Formats: sequence, C-alpha cells, structure tokens
Amino acid sequence: MTFLQAMLLAVLQGVSELFPISSLGHTVLLPALLGWKIDRSDPTFLAFVVALHFGTALALVAFYRQDWIRIVRGLFASVVRGRIGDDPDARLGWLLVIGTLPLALAGVFLEKPVRQFFGSPALVAGFLILNACVMFAGERLRRVERGPGSKPPRPLALLSYASGAQIGFSQAFALLPGISRSGASIVAGLLFDLTHEDAARFSFLLATPAIAAASILEIPRLLVPEAHAVLLEALAGGLLAAITAYASVAFLTRYFRSNDLRPFGWYCLIFGTVCLTLALMKAIV
Amino acid sequence: MKVLALGIAVVCLVVAILYWIGMLQIGTSEPGPHIKHAAVFFVIGALSMMWFRFQSVRS
Repeated sequence: MTFLQAMLLAVLQGVSELFPISSLGHTVLLPALLGWKIDRSDPTFLAFVVALHFGTALALVAFYRQDWIRIVRGLFASVVRGRIGDDPDARLGWLLVIGTLPLALAGVFLEKPVRQFFGSPALVAGFLILNACVMFAGERLRRVERGPGSKPPRPLALLSYASGAQIGFSQAFALLPGISRSGASIVAGLLFDLTHEDAARFSFLLATPAIAAASILEIPRLLVPEAHAVLLEALAGGLLAAITAYASVAFLTRYFRSNDLRPFGWYCLIFGTVCLTLALMKAIV
Repeated sequence: MKVLALGIAVVCLVVAILYWIGMLQIGTSEPGPHIKHAAVFFVIGALSMMWFRFQSVRS
C-alpha cells in the first residue's frame, strides 16, 4: 500500500462510514476497481484500519461532545438514584446502550464468518444494490405513513426502549459488506416515526460507541512490531479520516433537516450495478 | 425481575471470565483467550447489575 493509496482509503473511510453507502462495501469495491493489491489480513493493513476507525470515532465524539457530556452525566445520575425518571439525557443514554448491544453481540460472534463468506466483489455489489432497495423501500413506506391525516412524527425523546433495541438490531445487518450501518438504522428510525433529522442523529450517536469500542479492542494490532512500518500512514490516515468524518457528520446533520435517503439510494444502485456487471464479466476480482 | 437481572448478571460475568481465560471457545475461530467476547459479556453483566439496581430501588 503506497502513501497515496493509504490517504485515499482514509478519506473513503471518513466519508463512507457516516454516509449511508457502506464503508465496508466501498473498501472492498474501490481497491478492486482501481486494481490495488491489498492483503486485508496483513498485520500492517489491519493496524492502519484500526487507526482509521479511531479517527472516525474521535470525530464523532468531538462533533457530539455536548450531547455525550449530557448523556454520560444522565446515565451516571440514573444509576446513582436507581431510576431513569423523566431525565431525557438519561433516557437517550439508555436507548443508546440498549441499541448498541445487538451490534456488539453480532459483531463478536458473526463478523469473521460473515466476512469470510461474503467478501467477494460480486456479492458486495449485490448487497450494495440491496442497500439501495432498503433505502427506497424505507422512504416509500415513510411517505405512505406520512400521508394526509397521519399522526405527527415521534420525537427522539419519546422513542420506546423496544424500538431503540430494534433500531440497534438493524445495525447488525451492516456486518454484510455493502449494507450500510447508518442506512439501516436511519431507515429503521423512520419506520418508528422519527423524523429524518432525529433518525440520523440517533444513528450517528449509536455509531460512536460501536466504532469506539471496536477501535479500542483492536488497539493491540497497533502495537505489533509490523505496525511500525505503517506508523506514518496510520497517523496521517487517522487524522484525515477524523477530518473527513467530522465534515461528513456536519454535512449530513444539516442535509437530513430537509432531505431524504433517496439520493444515496440512487448512488448505491448505480455504483452497485456497475460493480456487479464488472464482477460478473470478471473485470474485477 | 430482580432475580432475572441478577441471574443474567452472574451468568454473563462467569461467561466473560471463561472467555478471558480461554476456557470457553463457543463462537470463536481459534483457540486461546478471547478478549472481545469477554468484554461484551462483561459489559452485559455490568448492565444487568444496573438493571438489578433499578429494580431494587423501585421495589
């Protein structure tokens, strides 16, 4: 992996982790399209990926720092007093805790087998098309439900714990490369009557503990002797991923105030179809 | 509910220890200690203890 390739991968990670277009799918398809020979099981590459995830997690914490301070305070206060009560920050905190557990369990038990079986560019492209269909279907159902005489959107503060768990569970589908974590969780949020803005905010807050925990648990990969060979790439890539992730989340939180998922659905449909065609023609492997 | 919360907490903490020392290999691809599995079960155990506390204060 050259320095330029590393920086392009860092930008790709920072952007695609939060845009509902599947970062994992793009990190499989783009190197295949560009003919990059990257060994994904190489310790130096794994160390580099950990640094990118660490940068992304730091960007999310920095962007939502005020929210996280309130949420952590609310969580601690609820544990001390022994009840959640009417504290909206504690309630949001417990929604995030409950929403994170399904992905954590699925991650430790299913991540390796799923990536072994579904890592080929053709399958990833197929899942990217499926990701587009999920977003289109979510928006379609949303428009049907939001027709004349429908009930008003549900504020995030009134989301039930069962709904929070189901939104969290939807993230587990993103273990399939090509299915977007944020796309799945935003669609699930929409189906539980959240606005696009609240669904996206909940999705990005849910992403923070998942990405941060995955990065922290993978830190030993940064400490192996082989990782020293990519120290510069890891540091620069982590920083670049952090900057692009921060810009992405800033853009998306504004975007979802008045827009929906359909443009991302069209992008995934077109890119997925092009990659699937190339893969079936054996032009990419 | 208090008994259920405490039961889940104890089971999860025991499972976490077994994964940590490498005695439990369910759902793993290679032998040895499994820190990620242990961490997830430790967190679920800790959360179940908090659930137990919420139930205790309520009653």
